[in-house]
Amino acid sequence: MQANNQAIFDKVCAILKTHAEADTEITPDTQIAADLAIDSVEMFDLVMEIEEVYDISFPIEEASAIDTVQSLIEAIERITDV
Amino acid sequence: MSDSDDMKTSIFGKFQKLAERVDTLRVSGRLPFGLQMDEMLSQTRARIGNREVLLAGTNNYLGLTFDTDVMEAAKAAIDAQGTATTGSRLANGSYAAHLDLEERLKEYFEVPSAIVCTTGYQANLAAISALAGRGDHLLLDADSHACIYDAARLSDADTIRFRHNSPADLDKRLSRLPKEGGRLVVIEGLYSMFGDVAPVAEFVEVAHAHGAMLFVDEAHSVGCYGERGRGVAQAQGVADKVDFISGTFSKSFASIGGFCVSRHVELELIRMVSRPYLFTASGSPSNVAAAQAALVKIAGEPQLGQALWDRVHQLYDGLTEAGFEPISPAAPIIAIPRPDEQVAVAEWNRLMDAGVYVNLAVPPATPQSKSLLRLSVSAAHSEADIDEVLAGFRSLLEDGAPAPSMAASGS
Ligand SMILES: Cc1ncc(COP(=O)(O)O)c(C=O)c1O
Repeated sequence: MQANNQAIFDKVCAILKTHAEADTEITPDTQIAADLAIDSVEMFDLVMEIEEVYDISFPIEEASAIDTVQSLIEAIERITDV
Repeated sequence: MSDSDDMKTSIFGKFQKLAERVDTLRVSGRLPFGLQMDEMLSQTRARIGNREVLLAGTNNYLGLTFDTDVMEAAKAAIDAQGTATTGSRLANGSYAAHLDLEERLKEYFEVPSAIVCTTGYQANLAAISALAGRGDHLLLDADSHACIYDAARLSDADTIRFRHNSPADLDKRLSRLPKEGGRLVVIEGLYSMFGDVAPVAEFVEVAHAHGAMLFVDEAHSVGCYGERGRGVAQAQGVADKVDFISGTFSKSFASIGGFCVSRHVELELIRMVSRPYLFTASGSPSNVAAAQAALVKIAGEPQLGQALWDRVHQLYDGLTEAGFEPISPAAPIIAIPRPDEQVAVAEWNRLMDAGVYVNLAVPPATPQSKSLLRLSVSAAHSEADIDEVLAGFRSLLEDGAPAPSMAASGS
């Protein structure tokens, strides 16, 4: 993983841990909903929190396409890059 | 190829999970989805099977569906103009009555532009998808009605959501947008599921400060709020600042149809490009006539709104005294959260057994994945009707049902 990527990963993990069941190991392949038992309401809050941290707004399609941790990282990269 | 299993699975397979969920719910009692009203006895009573039920979930806020004047207007329109227009507004489907209704709406809302569509759903699709085009930014309240989300899908604009009823969050998101492109913010006056009212005045201020236009869907609030029933924006003193107001004829107006009005005469331009306006037949003569007759009543008979609000307070106070905890302050829509879908279905059935019909609302039709018993009040309800609804709700507390305080804390 590249450095920039790693920084986002670390930050995202920290946020995910506050939403997930205790001590679940998080990797880029982790399915946010299934593996971390995050339901759609929590997912919405999670996305809002990440938007806050990065000062971004995900387009709706982008937000609903997020499934794995990796896809979340990529979505953040795409939006912070522009 | 005949009906091979593969062929069926490839199309119907995606509904498997849903089918299982419906089966689970069936265990909790009769299924509330697709319920059949065998006979409408009045605005507030129906026969379902061999049972007469009191209707407390109809959106018939002013009780005009059986109003003599409204019914006469609809009948006369059929006699004079036939049963259907068989064409779209741009082709052969614009009758004098459609244009006349648009004129009446302009007078009522004191605006230079009004467009009548075939349903409220299509009015939102038509206006929002056309107004927000490629390169524009569409900002939706997160709890928006399905048709607003569908409008966003039909639009070529970039769509983002902001926190429900939060002008502060909208403010932040507008600040983040690039300079280029138009900006359209969409909210509702009275939210259809939770019955909460938007701070429209604050939204106007935030939107305009960022060069964004504000669109307010007043589907549930026209007829119920504001002077002469003109809605929440009017009640909050900002009707002349809101850029677009949409609404439906399917609730207080006791008909079928929808509209969008604007203080910007340029709204007229969308008639040339908006697909949900262009590619569907216009409202039938009887629907248009009923809506117009209802508009006369809404604008001219304030006692209807008064009767509605008297019953709203009677029901709301009775429910809270019994220990139920509605999500929002008193409004014509009262939503009682239940701990989960099973409890909600079971209670909905017990209310039906008690002769009271309310709406069962479960995810994904509800915001925040809540399961609700949703009530809507009508001016046609009598004091005794509301007592009957309250008796039904109190019977839920008698045995087997969870205490309301516990229910209200469910998420
Ligand atoms: C907020 C809101 N907007 C629009 C509509 C659509 O109205 P109609 O029934 O006329 O399609 C509804 C009702 O279903 C609604 O609740």
